[in-house]
Amino acid sequence: MENKSKLYEGKNNIFDYIIIGNSAAGLSAASSIRTIDKNGSIVVLTNENYLNYSKPLITYYLAGRIKLKDIYFKNEDFYKENNILLKKDTNILKIDYANKQVITDKNTGFAYRKLLLANGGIPIIPKIRVSESSDSPSINSERFKEHAENNADVNKNKSIPGSLDNSNFKNFTGIFTFTCLKDAEKVKDYITKNNITEAAVLGGGLIGLKSAEALLELGIKVKIIELSDRILSASFDKQASSIIENELENKGNRIYTQNTINQIFVKNGSLESFQLKSGEIIKSRLLIVAVGVIPDLSIAENSNNNIKKNEPGYLKLNRGILVDEHMQTSIKDVFAAGDVAESFNFVTGDKSNIAIWPLAVRQGDIAGANMAGGNKIYDGGYFMNSVEILNIPTISIGITNAPDDMEGNIEIMKDYKPEKRYYRKIVIHNNKIIGIILVENIDRAGIYNGLIRNKIDISNIKDNLVKEDFGIIQLPSDYKKHLVVGDGIEV
Amino acid sequence: MVLKINQSEFEIDRDKEKCISCQVCVRQCSNDVHEYDESEGTVLSENSRCVGCHRCETLCPTGSIKIKQRVSEFKGNANWSAENMKNIYKQAETGGVILTGMGCDKPYPIYWDHILFNASQVTNPSIDPLREPMEIKTFIGRKPDKLEIKAVRESDGRILKFENNLEPQLELNIPVLFSAMSYGSISLNAVKSVAKAASEFGTFYNTGEGGLHKDLKCYKKNTIVQVASGRFGVDKDYLNSGAAVEIKIGQGAKPGIGGHLPGEKVNYDVSTTRMIPEGSDAISPAPHHDIYSIEDLAQLIYALKEATEYKKPVGVKVSAVHNVAPIASGIVRAGADFISIDGFRGGTGAAPQVIRDNVGIPIELALASVDIRLREEGIRHKVSLIVGGSIRSSADVIKAIALGADAVYIGTAALIALGCHLCQKCYTSKCNWGIATQDPYLTKRLNPEIGTRRLLNLLNAWSHEIKEMLGGAGINAIESLRGNREHLRGVGLNEKELSILGIKHAGEAW
Amino acid sequence: MKKIYIKEEYCIACRLCEIYCQVKHSKSKKILKAFKNETDILSRVLVEEIGYNSFAIQCRHCEDAPCVEACISGAMQKNKNTGTVTCDEKKCVGCWMCIMACPYGVIKRDLSEKKVASKCDLCGDEEFPVCVRNCPNEALKFEDV
Repeated sequence: MENKSKLYEGKNNIFDYIIIGNSAAGLSAASSIRTIDKNGSIVVLTNENYLNYSKPLITYYLAGRIKLKDIYFKNEDFYKENNILLKKDTNILKIDYANKQVITDKNTGFAYRKLLLANGGIPIIPKIRVSESSDSPSINSERFKEHAENNADVNKNKSIPGSLDNSNFKNFTGIFTFTCLKDAEKVKDYITKNNITEAAVLGGGLIGLKSAEALLELGIKVKIIELSDRILSASFDKQASSIIENELENKGNRIYTQNTINQIFVKNGSLESFQLKSGEIIKSRLLIVAVGVIPDLSIAENSNNNIKKNEPGYLKLNRGILVDEHMQTSIKDVFAAGDVAESFNFVTGDKSNIAIWPLAVRQGDIAGANMAGGNKIYDGGYFMNSVEILNIPTISIGITNAPDDMEGNIEIMKDYKPEKRYYRKIVIHNNKIIGIILVENIDRAGIYNGLIRNKIDISNIKDNLVKEDFGIIQLPSDYKKHLVVGDGIEV
Repeated sequence: MVLKINQSEFEIDRDKEKCISCQVCVRQCSNDVHEYDESEGTVLSENSRCVGCHRCETLCPTGSIKIKQRVSEFKGNANWSAENMKNIYKQAETGGVILTGMGCDKPYPIYWDHILFNASQVTNPSIDPLREPMEIKTFIGRKPDKLEIKAVRESDGRILKFENNLEPQLELNIPVLFSAMSYGSISLNAVKSVAKAASEFGTFYNTGEGGLHKDLKCYKKNTIVQVASGRFGVDKDYLNSGAAVEIKIGQGAKPGIGGHLPGEKVNYDVSTTRMIPEGSDAISPAPHHDIYSIEDLAQLIYALKEATEYKKPVGVKVSAVHNVAPIASGIVRAGADFISIDGFRGGTGAAPQVIRDNVGIPIELALASVDIRLREEGIRHKVSLIVGGSIRSSADVIKAIALGADAVYIGTAALIALGCHLCQKCYTSKCNWGIATQDPYLTKRLNPEIGTRRLLNLLNAWSHEIKEMLGGAGINAIESLRGNREHLRGVGLNEKELSILGIKHAGEAW
Repeated sequence: MKKIYIKEEYCIACRLCEIYCQVKHSKSKKILKAFKNETDILSRVLVEEIGYNSFAIQCRHCEDAPCVEACISGAMQKNKNTGTVTCDEKKCVGCWMCIMACPYGVIKRDLSEKKVASKCDLCGDEEFPVCVRNCPNEALKFEDV
């Protein structure tokens, strides 16, 4: 593909569209651009070395449910048909917004007319002391590199020499993050080579559980260490968490809640064991660090260097890159979408970063359309996810734990049958659903999603909402008509 | 006597090899015959509740169900039939009148089946309706005593001008109309099917005595509105919402009997259509309380003509009873533009079985005697005759016209086209075919789009057959056949029957 | 393109659409064999019923299909030419994101072999979808948009 690059490049070597990121948001934007602009040159830049792959599929790959060749969500024809130039292994150093240039670490530049930042997120690595196990739990500072000052630290803390952080954890054997395909390949390789039968996962959130799900499918017993009082605390409540926790423990796994790893013991750079906050020492040769993901702001922050906050060339950032309803950043012709962006939250009403696949696709689509001269509005997104653990499917959407200080009338409807591992919870705010949790029977979860998204008043159908057979037929008549009769369906 | 003696009329023969327990039968039976046994995973059937409507058999995707007549186990008795005995058991238990629906099913002679139609050979040529024009259009209404035609000389030559002031006429593209079936006795979807088919084909349907539902006003040009003894839903607007008005004196299935729609069936829609309070009983008295003579009838006819400004034909519907011929004569003299005669096999939504099966006379005999009587009196042209009461095929239509009818009414035939299987349980309001019911769960089953299509198909098929038969007899217009008894011959009929019918026996030449 | 139109007022809740859908998506494609010998064949059309209200609903093949947007494997695709949204069961990993996204709730979990999302494919190889063809009351129609 590289040798054809000239074909794709725009006039005077300026690309009409440059997309940084070769995943959900980036490729969705590329095809969205192509539906409007048939001829403009599009280049996709990625620092990875794959045709593309679906990040959520890496757990399925680890579990052996799919082969490497099936991890692509767009095949080669996609790039050909849409006339998109893909440049792999391209590390972006920074962007010169004034001259509309993307600068790589090899100091080459790509000029753009419209730019999309869709470079995703990176894992958080918490500070944990690491010791050689032969020693008493003390610091062996020689083993660690100095933490680079300019390398953005996720916790905005100074790194402590002798502790695990996001620049050095790769130096240890047996400690992995789990957010990209390379991670999955490494873990897979490690498990096979070392005949791993037990593993630990730090973090009982989505990625932690997804990784645990994969490990369980490989027959590996898992210990999950979670800081809060239950797993999946962000999207689940006590009941939902307990169903999964019980099932995990019944199957011989352990969950340590309100706990974390205080200290890691290594021998010759290989993980041996770690000590929990509670004092317990756990032997483990595999630790997956999955405490969370944050927007990858490295390029954005590098580009902002030496530019004052109130100058026009300064890209406004918060937790992520701030965008408007067109997915445009504070700088004209520069857009952002996906896990790197911080955009309107439909349910809470403020801006937040929601790192989920469907929103990345939608944001990419909207950014692409607007880059190509269209006018598409992002009306906001909200959290949702579908996780299946030990054959218990679960879906959680929106606000599932209404904060105590939330204004307005909050109602919660529940149907909890722990013996059947069944749970259904509906969170209603001023007669509109703002969140749900479904465990076991998830089949018609999307109907609730529609009610949330369309802000449907459900005051007349409350009696039926939490029933297991809840369906379209029980919906408020106007909305039902819209579904059954609308969109090309006649009365 | 504590035992329940009545035995089931039908048995459900379910082929276990073919039954896939899909439960379509369970869901489709309003009589709760079929039941799914969850523990066994099989469907069980309770014979005694089956009315023999064949809904389950028709919809079963594997053809595993067969409804069979359950053979009685009474000792054979030529006098005491199983039906007589069962009725007595039923009445001994309930003390009530036995109700039934649809037309008389007893084996009285069916004269249509003893009449044969003629065809041309050698001496007059037959006509191929596919190659030559063939007219089956006809007009209902009073015809002038004589034609007044004047020759006028105009610039481009001499032309003939029709000088009569013609009375209002209904134009029919086929000599077949849909007979009176009220909204109430049948579902709105059934009425809609009939009304739309009439309007698309170019013929007429009759509202029956239940008033006119607002959804049907669009078929105005093809509606005959009925005025019966209950006068339900009758006002000036109603009378002018149709193309013609029909005064209903009697109905073939229950001559001399009124009607009673119980209050619980008078829902909002029925109450507004009938213009009576919701929940009140709708009682049609046996007679019109203002009609005790031909003179009274004339008053009503002219009152209706006044209300419709003499723009619409006004007719009178009577049951075929013993004195039908002189009654018809009186009706013509009272000023009716058409007479509808309903034979004793005509259908009904509900009638006492004893009346349905024992009162009235066959339409064939009534028609022939009325036609002959009116001709004898020289007033046949003053009125059109529409006959009904079991017209089952295009052959019956052609025979009726040759016996003297202008057109025929079909009711039962239309319902059969809509799916009716003649289970005769209309009065239960549980019609599984969505016809004789107001239960929305059941009325949904009749999609008027399909209903209309099926009725149009039936009318098309019959018009082709009528044309074929006319052509075979060398006739190119249906009106040339009217009263042309030479085209009919009787078989297996005695002298008296032949003389009433006014036809020769088969084998007798001109 | 053609779409299935729902005529709610004529659905008689016989569920023949579901039965024929199951047969169509069975291995044998024969009704007796499918029901007697095969288990857990999912119908891709769903009849909802309360009292006399009922209708059969299947995938609406949306313009901006949320299931396609949510699909992490690329299995769920909208065909640009036919407009049909189909799930490539080979690619599908059974993550149920589509179930979470579909506002009609017409995607089901097929657990019979490997986990895959099961949904209406408009019977692509037939002139009419079997649910439409076998509806005795024409409560489903397959007509041009």
